[in-house]
Amino acid sequence: MRIKVNRDKCTGCRLCLQICTIEHFREINPKKAALRVEAKFPDPGKYRPFVCTQCGKCEEVCPEGAISRVASGAYIVDKDKCTNCGECVPACPVGVVFRHPDHDFVIICDFCMLCTELCNTGALVKWERAASQEAKEA
Amino acid sequence: MVIYLKAGGELRSKLQPDVDHFTRRVETEAGKPLSDILIGIGISPAFVAFAFKDGQLKRLDYTPSEGDIITLQPPVSGG
Amino acid sequence: MANGLAGTTLRINLNTGDIRRLPTDEVLYRRWHGGRGITAKILYDEVPRDADPLGPKNIFIVNAGIMSGCYIPAGSKVEFGSVSPLTNGPGDSNMGGHLGPTLKFAGYDLIIFEGVSPKPVYLFIDNETIELRDASGYWGLKSLDCEKKLKDDLGEDFEIATIGPAGENGILFSCITHDFGRQAGRTGQGAVMGSKKLKAIAVRGNKSIQVKDLDSLEKQVTGIILRTQKHPNMVPWQKYGTAFFIQWSNANAVIPAYNFQTTFYEDIDKIDGDQLVEKCLITDKACFGCWMNCGKYTKAVIPGKPEVHLEGPEYETGSLCGSNLGMKDINHVAYINWLLDNLGLDSMSGGGVIAFAMECFQRGLIKEQDLEGHTLKWGSVDDVEHFLDMVAHRRGVGDWFAGGTKRAAAKIGRGSEKFAMQVKGQEMSGYDGRWAPGMLLSYMTADIGAHHNRSWTITVDMAEGRERVEGRAKIVVYLQHIRPLFDTWCICRLFWGELDITPEEIVESLNHITGWGISVDQALRTSEMIWNLNRCHYMERNRDNGRAFDYPPARAWEDKIPSGPGKGKGLSLAQIDQMLDEYYAARGWDKKGNPTRELLQDLGIDYAADNLEKLGFLGEPIPGGIPPVRGEKYKPKAF
Repeated sequence: MRIKVNRDKCTGCRLCLQICTIEHFREINPKKAALRVEAKFPDPGKYRPFVCTQCGKCEEVCPEGAISRVASGAYIVDKDKCTNCGECVPACPVGVVFRHPDHDFVIICDFCMLCTELCNTGALVKWERAASQEAKEA
Repeated sequence: MVIYLKAGGELRSKLQPDVDHFTRRVETEAGKPLSDILIGIGISPAFVAFAFKDGQLKRLDYTPSEGDIITLQPPVSGG
Repeated sequence: MANGLAGTTLRINLNTGDIRRLPTDEVLYRRWHGGRGITAKILYDEVPRDADPLGPKNIFIVNAGIMSGCYIPAGSKVEFGSVSPLTNGPGDSNMGGHLGPTLKFAGYDLIIFEGVSPKPVYLFIDNETIELRDASGYWGLKSLDCEKKLKDDLGEDFEIATIGPAGENGILFSCITHDFGRQAGRTGQGAVMGSKKLKAIAVRGNKSIQVKDLDSLEKQVTGIILRTQKHPNMVPWQKYGTAFFIQWSNANAVIPAYNFQTTFYEDIDKIDGDQLVEKCLITDKACFGCWMNCGKYTKAVIPGKPEVHLEGPEYETGSLCGSNLGMKDINHVAYINWLLDNLGLDSMSGGGVIAFAMECFQRGLIKEQDLEGHTLKWGSVDDVEHFLDMVAHRRGVGDWFAGGTKRAAAKIGRGSEKFAMQVKGQEMSGYDGRWAPGMLLSYMTADIGAHHNRSWTITVDMAEGRERVEGRAKIVVYLQHIRPLFDTWCICRLFWGELDITPEEIVESLNHITGWGISVDQALRTSEMIWNLNRCHYMERNRDNGRAFDYPPARAWEDKIPSGPGKGKGLSLAQIDQMLDEYYAARGWDKKGNPTRELLQDLGIDYAADNLEKLGFLGEPIPGGIPPVRGEKYKPKAF
């Protein structure tokens, strides 16, 4: 399961960031979200959301073996094993591995899909792919 | 012919939806403009800011065709 | 604090550069609800009555409100407050975008600026780091350019509010700009910021907001989001924002055209919502936490001028800078909107001031030699560009208009007061009240002058009779309590009318956030308390207060509407007086418009009665007492 991004449809409301942190931290704090929205103003005047593409680079570079892929396709951080060394942060090609001073582990999308449920413009859409294809990639 | 009108807010109570929470099925003669259809069901066109069909704004002189689904937008203060 | 508050209040003395961090006063919030309420109370308590609004004794308040940033429908607002240089009364203005929530994410609820900085500064907040930084490299920059430069210098994730050259030069209707197109425009808050030599506020924060009962809040709000996504009004609103409303306003004879000379605009098809979406739209733009994205980020393309990017024009700017100036191309309206935004002028008052100047030119009261050889003709975007440059830099007659229409009319004289379309110094919003008596009364009695956001009654007027004035006052009073509540909580009002989110639901959310356990009626009472405190504050500052200051300009009763569907319609002075009499009675004020002790006691602000009494402005006791409930909820009759 993945998230499809229709970048032209994003309006920058950041509802996705809010529900993400409510779900995972029981707090309202967009800086703890596992996705980000870039705003390019005044030129050209566009928003662009970035979400995990499940490329696996974070797992590759993790020296502790703290990141591993689960059946849904998501890369899950083992909070006990993660030392917050930060190797995975620059390794992520879309910049969606996050660190926050409140926590000693990195934040990566677990594909709970709440953001896609609340996104009202279709910028973030739940993307079910054939199980065979998922299996091949995994 | 039959068209479907949708409305929310104060307009909704006036529309008296019967299909779902927002929608009313209206039988009408073909060729009538929307404003006349509204008057026919007891809604003054002055309380409809505009109509919206298939993603397009329509004036109230628009003549609906069979099966049209038209959203009626109430006026509100803007800005 | 698990109550929706960030926890810290900042008091910043601009004279000395001293920054004090205080715990946010929760009791004060509980009583005044934040936003407009806290602003009213602090201004009443702290600003000396003889303080010049643009002098060192005025204070400037930034408040992020109680619900802002709390996973609430469009909980995005930030409220600015100070004694308004336009009205010389308590002033507040708010804007959406992302600044309010970000201020709370940085840990701050409220910032109170005192004094005047010796040199231009901007406030830098990065969580615990708070600095007044030198702004000499930014002073003089236009609003949008300054925001861009600050973002380039500090980082994209800073949320920034700026003023433009107009605010620096003390133009009284200057605004505060944020997010490349969100403005706190009204009551001249940008001029106050400029007078304090405060060029900008830049904030970044990564803290969490804690609320009382997140589980209930999440359940309720997620339910509202999923429900309203299917609301029939959603798609039209997402597509057009408020701009769709221009056609309706014209068809129903409330749109201002040619400085409110008439209420019908023959070229409306050239400046309406369809034109905006078709010719100008770049992207839809939403405020923080809003899934209705009514903001339209646009471009204006005019041959011979640079292509410019802006947000808008929304309905108010579209009418006041469109039909009201006789513009015949949506690109021209958008370009004027951009000019005003970038100079840092309120595009509502700005439209009013330009239109007033155009009518003065039409009537020969100002001439080409006054305008550095330029004309000021209806529909000319070049004329407007030149005129605005004169105003923003106070060149020549531009200086006359720098104080808004009321002060300009006082300079120009020769009968121009009649068509200076303002009340208490603040220019009217984009609705003509001559065939909408409740709307006119709303303008007349609003605490900050002629602004629609305190009460908007046009559909009520249409349902109840547009030439009838009886009974309108009670409805206006009710609306003046409920609509400002949204500014008090720092959330957007549009969900209420548009997507059927009820006040009861919003108060339920408020209770989940704060744990206050209040009802809508209690909230309305708080709003009434705020309203009356502001009235008292206004009276204490303005000795010639009362009825005379609640009148509209004479055009409202002397001129009938000359064209369009409203042709021949208009109100008489007797009707206007009747509405005022009914209004004062409905509020529990005496016949002069002075609040009575009985009322102020009932609302728990006895000290305001004491202060009025000392000045001799306390209302005479009302025979039979004040009404037990002030205002009456409007129940729509058959259309």
